[in-house]
Amino acid sequence: MKNLYRPIESVIEDIKKETHNITTYRFRPKEPISFKAGQFVELTVPGVGEAPFTPSSNPAVTETMEITIMRVGCVTEALEKMKVGDTVGIRGPYGNAYNLEDFDDKNIVIVGGGVGLAPLRSLILALFENVEKYKRISIRYGARTPMDIVYADALPEWEKYPNVDVHLTIDEPYPGWQGTVGVVTVLLEDLPLLTTANVDDLPFTVENAVACVCGPPIMLKFVNMALLEKGFDPNQIYHSMERNMSCGLGKCGHCMMGEYYICKDGAVMTAAQVAKFEDPF
Amino acid sequence: MKEVFIGRENLLKLIGRWAKDHRVYVPVTFDIMNHPETPDYELVKEEVPASLELHGACPAQTPKSFLFYSREVVSKYPNSNPEAEVEAPPTVLVGPRACDLEGIKKFDKVYWSTKHFTEEYDDPFYIEKRENTTIVSVDCTAAKETCFCTIVGGKPYVDADFDLNISPVENGYILSVGSEKGEKLMAGSDDLTSEVTGGHHDEQKRIRGSVTEAIERQNAEFKVDVPYDKHELGSDEDAWAHVTANCVGCGACNRACPTCTCFLLWDQKADGGYERTRNWDTCLSIGYARTGGGGNSRANLPQRLENRIRCKMEYSRDRYKLVTCTGCGRCIDVCMGRIDMREAIKHVVTEMAKA
Ligand SMILES: Cc1cc2nc3c(=O)[nH]c(=O)nc-3n(C[C@H](O)[C@H](O)[C@H](O)COP(=O)(O)OP(=O)(O)OC[C@H]3O[C@@H](n4cnc5c(N)ncnc54)[C@H](O)[C@@H]3O)c2cc1C
Ligand code: SF4
Ligand code: SF4
Ligand code: SF4
Ligand code: FES
Repeated sequence: MKNLYRPIESVIEDIKKETHNITTYRFRPKEPISFKAGQFVELTVPGVGEAPFTPSSNPAVTETMEITIMRVGCVTEALEKMKVGDTVGIRGPYGNAYNLEDFDDKNIVIVGGGVGLAPLRSLILALFENVEKYKRISIRYGARTPMDIVYADALPEWEKYPNVDVHLTIDEPYPGWQGTVGVVTVLLEDLPLLTTANVDDLPFTVENAVACVCGPPIMLKFVNMALLEKGFDPNQIYHSMERNMSCGLGKCGHCMMGEYYICKDGAVMTAAQVAKFEDPF
Repeated sequence: MKEVFIGRENLLKLIGRWAKDHRVYVPVTFDIMNHPETPDYELVKEEVPASLELHGACPAQTPKSFLFYSREVVSKYPNSNPEAEVEAPPTVLVGPRACDLEGIKKFDKVYWSTKHFTEEYDDPFYIEKRENTTIVSVDCTAAKETCFCTIVGGKPYVDADFDLNISPVENGYILSVGSEKGEKLMAGSDDLTSEVTGGHHDEQKRIRGSVTEAIERQNAEFKVDVPYDKHELGSDEDAWAHVTANCVGCGACNRACPTCTCFLLWDQKADGGYERTRNWDTCLSIGYARTGGGGNSRANLPQRLENRIRCKMEYSRDRYKLVTCTGCGRCIDVCMGRIDMREAIKHVVTEMAKA
């Protein structure tokens, strides 16, 4: 029988520092691993352990996979010490994917906080593959300081699409920063109106919108409240849930939240699915 | 159903025959450390141990020790084998009780998903052991004071879904065949067995009835109005804090439980490369739900004990259509704080009724 715990050897092909603690790695798995936007993989640092990450690259690219990773502990620190040419392990993909068919003709609001923009990047790049199918893609991104912004050089490129707008905010004033200040929910306050020239003529209606959110738990909590206040139906809000994960297969129990296994029923869960939990994030 | 009677001497001989081409584990009494009334498993070597104990209630360990090892290498890398390398010699496990067979159902659902449930991943390490293991279940002839199978829909004997079952009666045992695997174990054993008489049946019925009654009697005080499969225990902080007062978070309850299926993958250096081990894990430990950067959805002990009890009564019911507390009482037996599922549930239900 197939061994479902086995890591597939993958060579580090490129390393790009995004911020002082966030790095994007490009891996080339020895056996192709294809994934859909929203799905995650288990990444092994040999001898150190595994941790779950959502690829940040375009799902249409199947020979390589990029993952943007923040250094927070044991596995991520060991990964940071690795070099181009070194080998890691990857298994997956696991979990559910965004149902992109449901997004056709919609306004798509993408809300990211910190390294939370990384998993959303694979969704964004997947949407860009057929960008004309969507009414408008509004990207709202909050980082702690200007130094913590990931994909800094790609963001202006994204805005070149006629129906895409990108807005940034940083948590606190910072010397030289001219843009918005405040946590990411400030970018949602005037959601229907906040706009840039290229999308002026694209009206935004909450009824025809979906929101995809990823970031630290506290951010999910407040963004969820803000979106509900704006009139979003809980079924229109997709959160990327973070839980401790070991297997990714719906077996080890670590990601359990009530009867859900976040690694199988998530990690993308609607606000409606998690509404019955007192403090789901 | 095929049934035969066998005396103790001949049963020892029969088990000895199984041991020729199987690993056979039997429950025996231990003098040291263990509670004398609680037998535990021993591997049959040259001889079937004379201390074989088929009376009383469930042995200390659960079948998971044999179907899902507490620690097992599940992959080696680099150059890992795409096929699982499983060691699963033919095994006979003598001694599990009705509550233990109930417990295996949870393992089947989680690890043999495609056969028992709708999920897509099958675990070769479990399935091969499960397929190669024949279980010889045993009727309980007495209850421990912590047994409560009857209040969670169970009973202290097996009458369906078994391989081979032993009912201890006067001067011997009734052996009942319940599956093809059980049939195989009985092949060629006619020289050791005789016909079951009406007297044997009467005694089997009497013992089954009186043990059932004893368990019902000793649990009368824990009765609550909510049926066992309809609990919605909620997250009342005070109620759970009260239940958790004596808990130290050791996780012994998880390890002792026949339906705790959880594990942790742990990688380490080995033989010039690396190996991935799979280890039993316990949702009572603080690191269980900890996420990178220090977040923890169950940072407090009461939240973790709540998770364990609700996992048994509600979450597995909602996910697998199976209440997974089998009432075996082991979590109470091993708990240094003497935390009792039955009292805990009763307390939480009573507090909810007040609110
Ligand atoms: C679905 C999903 C997608 C994610 N996507 C991303 C992403 O794209 N980018 C990103 O930066 N982060 C992402 N994360 C978060 C990421 O998984 C964590 O930051 C990561 O697990 C931290 O691992 P660490 O070992 O460095 O941190 P630690 O704080 O050391 O460990 C985190 C947890 O992992 C466990 N653990 C640590 N070492 C071991 C070991 N050797 N064996 C077993 N368990 C161990 C510990 O129990 C601890 O609770 C995602 C998380 C999830 C659930
Ligand atoms: S065995 Fe008892 S003390 Fe230990 S974690 Fe379980 S309930 Fe707590
Ligand atoms: S009680 Fe805890 S350790 Fe046991 S199966 Fe449930 S989540 Fe896993
Ligand atoms: S929770 Fe306790 S009584 Fe219930 S099956 Fe597990 S160990 Fe037995
Ligand atoms: S990560 Fe193991 S069950 Fe979800």
